[in-house]
Amino acid sequence: MDYEFDAIVVGSGITGGWAAKELTEAGLKVLMIERGREIVHGDYPREMKAPWELPFRGRGDTQRYKRDHAVQMLNRHFTEWTEDHFVNDRENPYELGPDSAFTWFRSYQLGGKSLTWGRQCYRWSDYDFGANARDGMGTDWPIRYADIAPWYDKVERFIGVSGASEGLPSLPDGQFQPPFALNAVEKSVREKVSAQWPDRRLTIGRTANLTQGKEEEGRAPCQSRDICNRGCSFGAYFSTQSSTLPAATRTGRLTVITDAQVEKVDYDPATKRVTGVRWVNTKTRERKSATARIVFLNAGAFNSVHLMMNSASEAMPGGLANSSGVLGTHIMDHANTLSAVALMPGFEGRTSFGNRPTGVVIPRFRNLDKADGDGFTRGYSFQGGALQSGWGRGKRQAGIGADFKRDLRAPGAWRMVLVAFAESLPRASNRLTLSKQLDPMGVPQLEIHFAHGAGEMAALADAKREAGAMLTASGGQVLFGMDRPGPGGTAIHEMGGARMGHDPKTSVLNKWSQAHDVANLFVTDGAQMASSACQNPSLTYMALTARAVDHAVGLIKAGAI
Amino acid sequence: MQHFRHKQPKATRREVLAGAAIFALATGLPMPASAAGEAPSPRIALLLKTVAQIVIPRSDTPGAGDVGVGAFLPLAFAHGLEGTREPGRGAVAANLLRADGSLRHDLWLDQELNRRAGRDFLALPPAQQAKIVAQLDAGAFPAGPPPAVPSPWVSIKALILTGYYTSEAGASKELQYNLIPGRWDADIPLKPGARAYSSDWTAVEFG
Repeated sequence: MDYEFDAIVVGSGITGGWAAKELTEAGLKVLMIERGREIVHGDYPREMKAPWELPFRGRGDTQRYKRDHAVQMLNRHFTEWTEDHFVNDRENPYELGPDSAFTWFRSYQLGGKSLTWGRQCYRWSDYDFGANARDGMGTDWPIRYADIAPWYDKVERFIGVSGASEGLPSLPDGQFQPPFALNAVEKSVREKVSAQWPDRRLTIGRTANLTQGKEEEGRAPCQSRDICNRGCSFGAYFSTQSSTLPAATRTGRLTVITDAQVEKVDYDPATKRVTGVRWVNTKTRERKSATARIVFLNAGAFNSVHLMMNSASEAMPGGLANSSGVLGTHIMDHANTLSAVALMPGFEGRTSFGNRPTGVVIPRFRNLDKADGDGFTRGYSFQGGALQSGWGRGKRQAGIGADFKRDLRAPGAWRMVLVAFAESLPRASNRLTLSKQLDPMGVPQLEIHFAHGAGEMAALADAKREAGAMLTASGGQVLFGMDRPGPGGTAIHEMGGARMGHDPKTSVLNKWSQAHDVANLFVTDGAQMASSACQNPSLTYMALTARAVDHAVGLIKAGAI
Repeated sequence: MQHFRHKQPKATRREVLAGAAIFALATGLPMPASAAGEAPSPRIALLLKTVAQIVIPRSDTPGAGDVGVGAFLPLAFAHGLEGTREPGRGAVAANLLRADGSLRHDLWLDQELNRRAGRDFLALPPAQQAKIVAQLDAGAFPAGPPPAVPSPWVSIKALILTGYYTSEAGASKELQYNLIPGRWDADIPLKPGARAYSSDWTAVEFG
C-alpha cells in the first residue's frame, strides 16, 4: 500500500507536539491534525492587555459565560484574558452518567492544553509504577522507573524545567534549570516542617518555565509575569507553539491541518493494521481522509478513547483495539481540594518582587515504605505557596472611606495555602461510554461516569489534618480547610481509559504505548495511564510519547510495521 | 459602554459610543453589550457614583467615583459579575427583581439607602451619606461567621473595588502596575508606605 504519510498524529497538544517532533526528527513524513483553530506563536491578542483595556476588566461577561462556557468558567484560569483558549461548552457538549460529576476542562486549538496547562513537571518513582501491583487495585504497569528515566531526561532538557534537586525517593530529581527561590514564609515553613517531620520536604515547584533562555530556539527566560495561559510571546513556558512545533516544522516533514475533527480511525481487518483517519472540517463540514503507515492518538485522554470508541467496525464492534473490553474503563482524576489556608504572622517586614510562575510542593510522604495511610493505600501531595494578599481582600472585610483605601494600598498579611492532590484509584465503574446524543458534527457524544471513592476521601481527610498540623507547627493560624474534593475533572488531570498493561486480555496498550490488537496504533496521551500517582502527569505523558516514537521508528526500520 | 466615560469625562453619549467603537476596533474586542435595557436613570447614575466615591474617596489619587466606577457598576450588574444575576438572594420586593429572579442591585441600593436615611439619601450632606453607607457596610460584614444569605451590598462593594482597582488610576497610581517584572526577587524588605501591585494576579485573586 502507498501511504500519503508515514505517520498521522491526532492532536497537537502536549503529547501531539512531542509525537510530531520526534517522528519528524526521525525522518518520517507526518500529518498532524488538530480539531481546533490555528494559533500562531506570538499571536496572543490579550497577552499584554491591562484590565482597564478589557470590557469587563478581566472578569469577563458572566452572563455570556453561563450560556457558552458553563463548565469552562469553573476553571479559575478561565478569564477574560484567556477565554479564547478554552472551548465553547454549548458547541462541545458531553453527557454525564447517573450520580456522576465531572467538569471537563478543554482547550480545542492548535497547541491544545499546552497553552493553558499548569506547567508542573514531576517524575514518577517506582512507588508509583509499582502501586497497582502492591495493593491490587488496577493492573500492574508493564514498566518501571528505569524504563522511563532516560526519556524524562530527554524531555526535561528540551522543554526546560526549573527546579531544585532534593534526593527524595518519592519524587526523583531531574535535569533541572536553576530553581525559582522560595519566599520568606516558604523558607521558614520548609525549615520547620523538615525539623519536625524529617520525611517531609517543602520544595519549589518544578515548572516548565525557563530560568535560562534557550536563545537558539527563540525562547527567552521567564519574565515573572505569571500570566502564562494568556499565551507567552517570550516563549518562556513550554507549549507546542513555543517548543515542539518549531522543532517539527524545522524538519520540513510536518503538515498541519487545523479545524479538523477526526471522526474515525480506519482499520483493515485483513492486515490487522490501521490505515489512516477520516475527519470533518468543522467550518465547512467537508469530509476528508488521509492514509499513513502508523497512527498516534494524542487527542487528550478522553478524546483519544472517544475516537477509538467511535472507530468501531465490523471487525472490531466494541471499538478500535478493544478486544479486552476495557477501553473507556478505569478513568481517573486526582481528588483535589484546598486543605488549609493559614495566616503566617512574623514576616510583616518582608515582601517579594515579580510574579513567580510556580508555587511550592510537598511531595508524597504517606504509604511509601510503611503503610501509614488511615483508610487509604496510596498517597497525596501538596502544592501551594505563601502570598501577601492584594486588594481583593477588601471584598470580604468591613470598611469604607479613607482609612479603608489606605489599608488596601499596602500588601496584606502573609498567608500560606496548601492544596492536596490525592491519587485517584483505577476503578472499572469510572468509565467513558458513547452517548446516544450527537454533537453538532453528528458524532455520538462522550458520556462520563465518575465518582471519587472512599480511599480518595480518606486521603483528603488525612491531608487536611496534616496540612493544618504543618502550618500550625510553622507558626501559622489555620483559617480554613476542606476535606471533600471538587467534582471529577477539578484537577484537570483526567487520564486512563486505554490503559497500558502486560496482558492483552486486561489492557489496551502494551509497554510501548502500542495497541495490543493493532501493531501500528499508538496512544501516548493520558489515556494510556494504568494508575494516576499523585503527581501532575504531563511530564510522564511526554516521556512515554518520546519513548513510544523511538520504539515505533525502530519497528518501521525493522520492517515490522 | 459607559464605563469608558472616565477616559472622556466630558464626552456626550454619542462621543462615548463612538469612542467605544474605535476602542473595540483597535483592540479587536467585542464591544460589551450595554446594560441590556438597564441603562441607569440620571438619579441612579448619580447614586452609584456617589456611593463608589464614599467607599473609595479621593486622596492623593482619584476616588472610585472619579474614575468611572459609577458607570462600571450598571454594566457589571447587568452581566452578572460577582453573582449579581444569581436568582433567589434574599427576600425582596418583586419590583426589585428581574424576570429571571435576580435582584436589580442598583434599585435595591437606592431603596435601601433611602430607607436608612429616612428620606432622599442623595439630599443628605456628604458626612451623613458616608455614615449611612458605613452602617450598611458594617451590617453586611458582621463579626463571626458570614450570614447564610449575604447582603446585596457585599456584591456591590466587591464591584466598586473591582471597578476601582482595575481602572488605570486605581491599578497604576493608587497601586503599582507592572506587567513585565522581568525578574523574581523572592525575599526583600517591605519598605514603609510601599504600594501593593495590582498586577500580582494571584494575590489579587486570592485576596
